[in-house]
Amino acid sequence: MGIRGKILFGFLVLAGMLFLAGGWSIYELTTIGASVQRLLDDNYKSVNAARSMIEALEREDSAILLLLSGNRKEGREIIETADLSFQQEFRIAQKNVTIPGEKAYVDNVEKAYKNYKDLWEKPIVGTDRERNLDYYFREVHQSFLDVKSAIERLMTLNDGVMYETASNLENRAHRAVMPGIVAILAALIFTFVFNYFINYYLVGPIIRITKGIQAFLDTGETFQAKIETKDELSLLASSLQQLVSRSLNRDEI
Amino acid sequence: MRPHIIFRYSGLILLFNALFLFISCLISLIYMDQALMPLFYSAVIACLFGAFPLLFVPSVDDITNKEGFTIVVSSWLLSCLVGLVPYILYGGEFTLTNAWFESVSGFTTTGSSILTNVEALPKGLLFWRSSTHWIGGIGIIIFALSVMPSMGRAGMVLYRAEMSPLGMENFHYRTKKTLKILVTVYVGLTLAETLGLLLCGMNLFDAVTQSFATIATGGFSTKNNSIAYFASLPVEMVIMAFMVLSGLHFGLLFTAVRGKIAEIWRSPVSRYYILAMGAGLLITALDIHGTRYPAWTDSFRYAAFQVISLGTTTGFATADSTLWPIFSQLILIFFTLQGACAGSTSGGIKTDRVVLFWKGLTKRITKTRHPHAVIAPKIGDLAVDGEMLEVGLLYIVLYIGVVFGSSLILTALGVDAMSAFSGSAAAMGGVGPGFGIVGSMGNYSLIPDPGKWVLTIDMLLGRLEIFALIMFVTARSWK
Repeated sequence: MGIRGKILFGFLVLAGMLFLAGGWSIYELTTIGASVQRLLDDNYKSVNAARSMIEALEREDSAILLLLSGNRKEGREIIETADLSFQQEFRIAQKNVTIPGEKAYVDNVEKAYKNYKDLWEKPIVGTDRERNLDYYFREVHQSFLDVKSAIERLMTLNDGVMYETASNLENRAHRAVMPGIVAILAALIFTFVFNYFINYYLVGPIIRITKGIQAFLDTGETFQAKIETKDELSLLASSLQQLVSRSLNRDEI
Repeated sequence: MRPHIIFRYSGLILLFNALFLFISCLISLIYMDQALMPLFYSAVIACLFGAFPLLFVPSVDDITNKEGFTIVVSSWLLSCLVGLVPYILYGGEFTLTNAWFESVSGFTTTGSSILTNVEALPKGLLFWRSSTHWIGGIGIIIFALSVMPSMGRAGMVLYRAEMSPLGMENFHYRTKKTLKILVTVYVGLTLAETLGLLLCGMNLFDAVTQSFATIATGGFSTKNNSIAYFASLPVEMVIMAFMVLSGLHFGLLFTAVRGKIAEIWRSPVSRYYILAMGAGLLITALDIHGTRYPAWTDSFRYAAFQVISLGTTTGFATADSTLWPIFSQLILIFFTLQGACAGSTSGGIKTDRVVLFWKGLTKRITKTRHPHAVIAPKIGDLAVDGEMLEVGLLYIVLYIGVVFGSSLILTALGVDAMSAFSGSAAAMGGVGPGFGIVGSMGNYSLIPDPGKWVLTIDMLLGRLEIFALIMFVTARSWK
């Protein structure tokens, strides 16, 4: 290969390494962006909905206690508002099924909540259930705990996936940074090696050729320059050798 | 010394590494795993660095001894450096120290790992991990020589760096033929074991990777529980057979394949290697019977696998030997230190030097009893001269000294004595697992980072038989 090709190849290697590292880093960073968006869309929304459902459920529980103590108007008002809020959040969770197996968890919440609602939808004030704490602990509170644990299971599932995605993001960030670091180090080493070759195979022969010509001019001795490679420099050296030989022959004639 | 020559021939080794990195990329692509980009980028870097010197540096056939040693050692170091790139790019459990440890452990065919969950790694990276064993196993140098156009004189200069003196005993061939023999035996054994494991019901990926690790006497498994995962006697039998074969001198194996099987038994070194392993197996089986395993069959099965695995410096496991009686553990440590035959892919002191040691001892005792006797000890047809004895014994002392020294450093870093000593011996001998926290079912993740660097130096010293590395470090003052 000629000198031009060798130098071009050297720079292409450097450019190739940096281009590949840069491309990969950009790809990883884009993926990180997409993953963050997915994390927010898929999991955070569900976790938030679950948290609001638990809040609504706790308000419903307080309202039931008000009904049991005979405060019908206040109790019904709170329980209906809380129910509306629960339904709203539940629909968000229902529409946001993104994890394999998550649908079963959502269905469990729906089933448990239906059982719970059946208990408080029936009249309480003015019936034998009013001031009946035994009824509350035996049926209502148990049903409340069932719904709560079903929501908590849904939340744990999403939390787990969120943690996994976040860990993966950390790894992705590492992968976005590392190609750059490796490329910089590799480019540094490569530059050192490239510089050595340029010195040894290009600059060195040029110096030897110059010294050969200088020696011929100063002392008239035969031109000699040892060139290891077969490129433009070896052609130059042999051309110069011929030129010097002819010049010497002409002088002799 | 001519640095450009070093660049050229070390570059060829990088190209060979790049080839395996590209194959690992293909595996990654097939399984659509996350190691594709790390492997591809590493392959490109290795390829560019390997190919570039070829453009500038013309081929030569007048490599000097000094250059030969430098090429050998720098090839190992460069391969270890390139080998860590995919790990570090992949991330996960691989910090810089961990990636270096895993890479050195792979190329030196040690098989120690820092991974707490091997099975979590992508298939492409697992394949690369096993490939480092395979490349390292035969000696990167031999691969370089097989692709070098100037294999004549230059070849032998390079090859000498990896041979203990007695390793030459069975090599009466010329260099080119020797290399062909080594490659043929190595590839043949790998193919035969892969086929054997496939017949035992193992899938192709596992069969190839376990074969890479066995023939290179490495020990990296693709499973957290090593070979115990497969829980299969036929699989264990196949692996045991190939571990024993891989511990023999490859020249002898080639002679055996050509019909002269008796040559294996005729060689005093391989005879000692087989008999020592048989004795070790028997003693260990007797010791663990009743204490760990109620049935004789189990005692022999597990003793055989563990003794052969450590005796050939492979490091696979089918049982947690850290739970065995201390007597059995000491027997296993003896085999960890001893290793198998020179001229094989195994590490350790090597049985050749142990035989040499006994010859020297016998000579000394006879000389004490008969001071005027003229004794010329022989191993097989080879006359053992004073220099050979001196170099051999010096090597053993130096070897144990290095193991002791690195054990001291590890204990200073807070590692317990058993783990420190067995870990150092296992690293130096290219075995892999030791005892204590670095036992056969454990890993090296709990060793502090400076300790991991010490162990990688042990691995390199052991693989390059100490002297080559010393020569490399002192290359400037070489005459």
